[in-house]
Amino acid sequence: MIAKTDLRKEFELPALARWMLAVFGALATGGILLALVGANPIDAYIEMVQGTFGSMFDLSLVLTEMIPLVIIGLGLVIAFRARIWNIGAEGQFMFGALVGGAFALHVPIGSPFLAIPIVLVVGAASGALWGALVAVARVRWQVNEVISSLLLNYVALFIFAYAVRKPLRDPGGFQPTSERIPDQFVLADVPVDQIRVHIGIIFALLLVPLVSFLVNRSPFGLRATMFGMNPEAAQAAGVHTSRMTVRIMLLSGAFAGLAGIIQVMGSELRLSNNMSTGFGFTAIVVALISRLRPIGVVVAAALLGALTLGGDVIQRTQQVPRVLTMVIQAIFVLFLLLADRRKDR
Amino acid sequence: MTESATAPGSFSFVLSGSASDSPTAEQTDSVDAVSMVGICKSFGSLVALHGADFQLRRGEIHALLGENGAGKSTLMNILYGLEERDQGEVRIDGVPVSFSTPQDAVVKGLGMVHQHFKLVPRLTVIENVLLGDRRSRGFRLPDLAVAAKELEELADSYGLPISATDQVSGLSVGEQQRVEILRSLYFGAKTLILDEPTASLTPLEVNQLLDKLRGLADTGTSIIIITHHLDEVMESADRVTVLRSGLNVRTTAAAETNQVELAKLMVGRDVGILTQKNAIRGEPLGEFFEQDNSPVLRLYEVAASSHSPLEAAAGDAKRGLFDVNLEVRSGEIVAIAGVEGNGQNELEDVLSGFLQVEQGEFSIDEKDCRTYLPSELLKLGLGYIPSDRYRRGLIGDLSVAANVSYDRISEYPIGTRFKVNSKEMMRRGGQAVEEFSIAVGDAGDLAGTLSGGNAQRVVIARALAKELRLLVAAQPTRGLDVGAIEFIWGLLDKQRSQGLATLLITTDLDEVMALADRVYVMYRGRLTEVPADRDLIGLAMGGSISEVGHSIDA
Amino acid sequence: MDWSSVFGGAALIPLLNAAIRLAIPTGLAAVGESFCQRAGVLNLSLEGMMLSGALTSYLGAYYSGSLWVGVPAGIGGGLLVGVLMALFTLQFKTEQVINGIVLVLLAQAGTSFTFEKLFGDLTLTGRFEPMGNWKIPGLASIPGVGTVLFDQSPLVYLSVVLIWGIWYLLNRTTFGLAVRAVGDKPAAADAAGISVYRTRWLAILISGAMAGLGGVVLVIGQLGMFMQNVTAGRGWVAIALVIFGRWRPLRVMAGALLFGLTDAIQLRIQAASGGIESDVPFELFQAMPYLVTIAVVVFASARARKSGEPEALGRPFFKGAQI
Repeated sequence: MIAKTDLRKEFELPALARWMLAVFGALATGGILLALVGANPIDAYIEMVQGTFGSMFDLSLVLTEMIPLVIIGLGLVIAFRARIWNIGAEGQFMFGALVGGAFALHVPIGSPFLAIPIVLVVGAASGALWGALVAVARVRWQVNEVISSLLLNYVALFIFAYAVRKPLRDPGGFQPTSERIPDQFVLADVPVDQIRVHIGIIFALLLVPLVSFLVNRSPFGLRATMFGMNPEAAQAAGVHTSRMTVRIMLLSGAFAGLAGIIQVMGSELRLSNNMSTGFGFTAIVVALISRLRPIGVVVAAALLGALTLGGDVIQRTQQVPRVLTMVIQAIFVLFLLLADRRKDR
Repeated sequence: MTESATAPGSFSFVLSGSASDSPTAEQTDSVDAVSMVGICKSFGSLVALHGADFQLRRGEIHALLGENGAGKSTLMNILYGLEERDQGEVRIDGVPVSFSTPQDAVVKGLGMVHQHFKLVPRLTVIENVLLGDRRSRGFRLPDLAVAAKELEELADSYGLPISATDQVSGLSVGEQQRVEILRSLYFGAKTLILDEPTASLTPLEVNQLLDKLRGLADTGTSIIIITHHLDEVMESADRVTVLRSGLNVRTTAAAETNQVELAKLMVGRDVGILTQKNAIRGEPLGEFFEQDNSPVLRLYEVAASSHSPLEAAAGDAKRGLFDVNLEVRSGEIVAIAGVEGNGQNELEDVLSGFLQVEQGEFSIDEKDCRTYLPSELLKLGLGYIPSDRYRRGLIGDLSVAANVSYDRISEYPIGTRFKVNSKEMMRRGGQAVEEFSIAVGDAGDLAGTLSGGNAQRVVIARALAKELRLLVAAQPTRGLDVGAIEFIWGLLDKQRSQGLATLLITTDLDEVMALADRVYVMYRGRLTEVPADRDLIGLAMGGSISEVGHSIDA
Repeated sequence: MDWSSVFGGAALIPLLNAAIRLAIPTGLAAVGESFCQRAGVLNLSLEGMMLSGALTSYLGAYYSGSLWVGVPAGIGGGLLVGVLMALFTLQFKTEQVINGIVLVLLAQAGTSFTFEKLFGDLTLTGRFEPMGNWKIPGLASIPGVGTVLFDQSPLVYLSVVLIWGIWYLLNRTTFGLAVRAVGDKPAAADAAGISVYRTRWLAILISGAMAGLGGVVLVIGQLGMFMQNVTAGRGWVAIALVIFGRWRPLRVMAGALLFGLTDAIQLRIQAASGGIESDVPFELFQAMPYLVTIAVVVFASARARKSGEPEALGRPFFKGAQI
């Protein structure tokens, strides 16, 4: 009843059909590219499916890959609904990882029941802070958030690089990385046989209904949607636009920062320059593919997570650069955009 | 010369054409400048024109009269190549034509001045003229100084002087209109179509314009004026064609008819609205004054200015409000009349919280509101009907139901701080659809599909859904049809009788006369209180405040 | 660390020379973008255009053996992304911000994929000597200024001419007048018989060509190689510079020179710092060009708000619309 998407129930099926068509189009284009570089597309896709969903081990890898994508993606859904184009999630992710990680390395907290929540909060708050810079620049000086958030990515990456090269450097390590974080900060695996995924996946999945409620059912979410659709009308209806912008960037940044520190605590266990394979950017694609629906984020993250790992598979078996899968992702979004095309009257 | 006969002529051609090359007597008498016969046009299921005829003689001023939706604009858009006709025949100077773009029409000597001018504000006058000039479509721009001088000479020869190197954003509405007319003449127009040319002019400017048009007609230019102002028709036109529901009901010489008859032809029934209007206007309710004499809204020596990007770029003198004093009490409707662009937008923005007061006092119920944002003003009981209903009053991608309630989503029972009750929202939406007669299939339909009148009903339904202390209604009936206008006026009047304080900002004198208890006129950012008298308001709108003051004294 | 090698008197002339050289790729893209934005199109695919141009110019030069072949090849690469941007923005009218971002992602993935497939991995294979400088006879021997301005790659001279050309096109031609009208009030331009679509198509393509050439100068004129994301955000910096320059090509170029100077300084600091074990936090200097860019945009926006911004920037045009 609230948003456009809710009102178009009767169009749901065609929308899903269009979505499927876009998947097919993207995979077909990927297939053509595969054929062009001398691989057999059919074999390649079969290998990708086998290599990602074929065994519990492979599935675990996909799930692990999904964790940061889901968490960042949810934060971006909140921002994009308000048409605040935060493309600085990569920097917010790294900054959250850095500050949270430094905290874990240097603040001695004995009990994991205390240590883990505190560090999660520190990571999320750091990401939020990095995101808030963008909001402040936009609210106070009308600086376009696309540019400021993107440029801040580079700043965050260089700060991170300096931190792991000098102050946080593991003196015994050859590469510039930090030491391993103490055990009480490490996220355990989920207690399911054969599945090796840390409990970050549970955090991620718990956030889905929360964000879903937030964007679809809460006054805050409706106001954010109104702000995105028509900022001036939203303001006339009592939406405090600068407060809204700051809150949304805080939230969006907090999600990315949370993803960053969870990645450190669950997967990397140390800080290293290449701990992100561009999660912040892939999550943009996740959010766009989800059509800005929290449930869609899970589906999209699963798809892109599998695609990314599938890229590793075909790199091994077909000698096709794994980055092909990122080409497919971008083409996927372009096909989805086609469904949104508008015409002259 | 052969080239200039088909394409719009060169400068010298236009210059000489203006006075000496008037059409020969033979042409004038035998062939109409424009002849449209049996024109049909429909948009989907809506039939805009069914078999309308229209004849324009050379050198005449011909008024095209009709209500909103009568088909005047569609008919002229077809003539000018903006729309294609479904059926019928169009002849220019007796030759059948079929235009698919305005440029085709320009080549045949037509020019159109739209109600909303088609000028680029940030370009200069000469740049705007060169923009549409097919003759200067070379790679290099001609020397602007030289071209400007030529244009100014042409302008002087028509008695329409202009400074061609000024940026358009710095010109008054009247000057911009002059630029539009000049541009058409510059391209060699022999027939001018003016769409509602007097809508945003002061009474004085209207008289000047009508004089200039008469001068043009006397030198052979044929002129069509699309309007619904009967007095202007009687004052200026040679002939009148009245359109109603897509058909021409009568073409007659202006001298052979009168306003009452024309009004009847336009509306198709005895003219209820003219009398009804005055019936709506009531006396201020004495009892409210006795109970509560302190004003709800109070502005004291308020100054404010909005610097739009355009104005900043143009380096304009400061625009906005100066020394504005205003009080509105319970149970009265106070109207702010005036020609558009004299500070009404700034006043509206100040009162709705979009623009901050720079000096002076602004209070609602004695609460200082100088720094308040819209959200805080709403909490004080402000109801706001914005002048730009699509930009500020409606969210087209949300349902009608959501639009009716979206400013109260965290107020029980529509919602709490944490959850919106969408069932309640739908229920209220349905209620509003019924109560305000909003023509929509279902309250769940998108608001973006509504027509102007229905969109405005949604805006008003939302504004009036709460307990209000003050209602700011800016241009509440602009562009609406008679039915919607009557409905909205009725609502505003009802609210007054229940004790609401209302500030009505409007450019429509009829609206002022129909509703206002007290009238202020806004001119160049300043307010003057004026007795509710049509002529005095008209004078004050043109800035002749001393004359008004004089009349008040007398 | 020896700071005199960065800021010392003898280092000043080469530093300024380098500042101009480093300013050119970003400057070309930024000036092209300002032209495109004046037509009302917010082209965020700029980074993708540059990157695509960088790759195709590399491939052109590498396979032909002639550096000059890389020039048209790189322009073609920029145009390729431009065609996609124009298709989505003008034909399909989808959200311009998203079009731009997605095309950057596509170009990043696409160039990496192509390069890796052709050259095995993403390291420094197939490096060649970048184009040498042309000393302009006479002028280059003027002390100081001569070395700074007239001992540059021919691509730099070409770029300066093109940047002036964009200014000329925008301000002195009928097409430029159409561009300015279309960016401020497309409905008025349309009513005057100007095709909004055609004008915007051309503006996007011009922006693509300029950004592609920016990639050329980077690869052929400076690095002599290609690597993953070689443009390193210069396209985004260029967009920021358009705001700094208030949509006026020559002011935008002035902003690019400032960026070039910052880049030149940080490169010197990095070179002088002595590598991975250095105590100098050279990473923070690496971040400097980006920080300076953010700072100048904040400064420019805070001072002049949105003045100079085309009124219709970022809004799709629907034929028949009134605005």
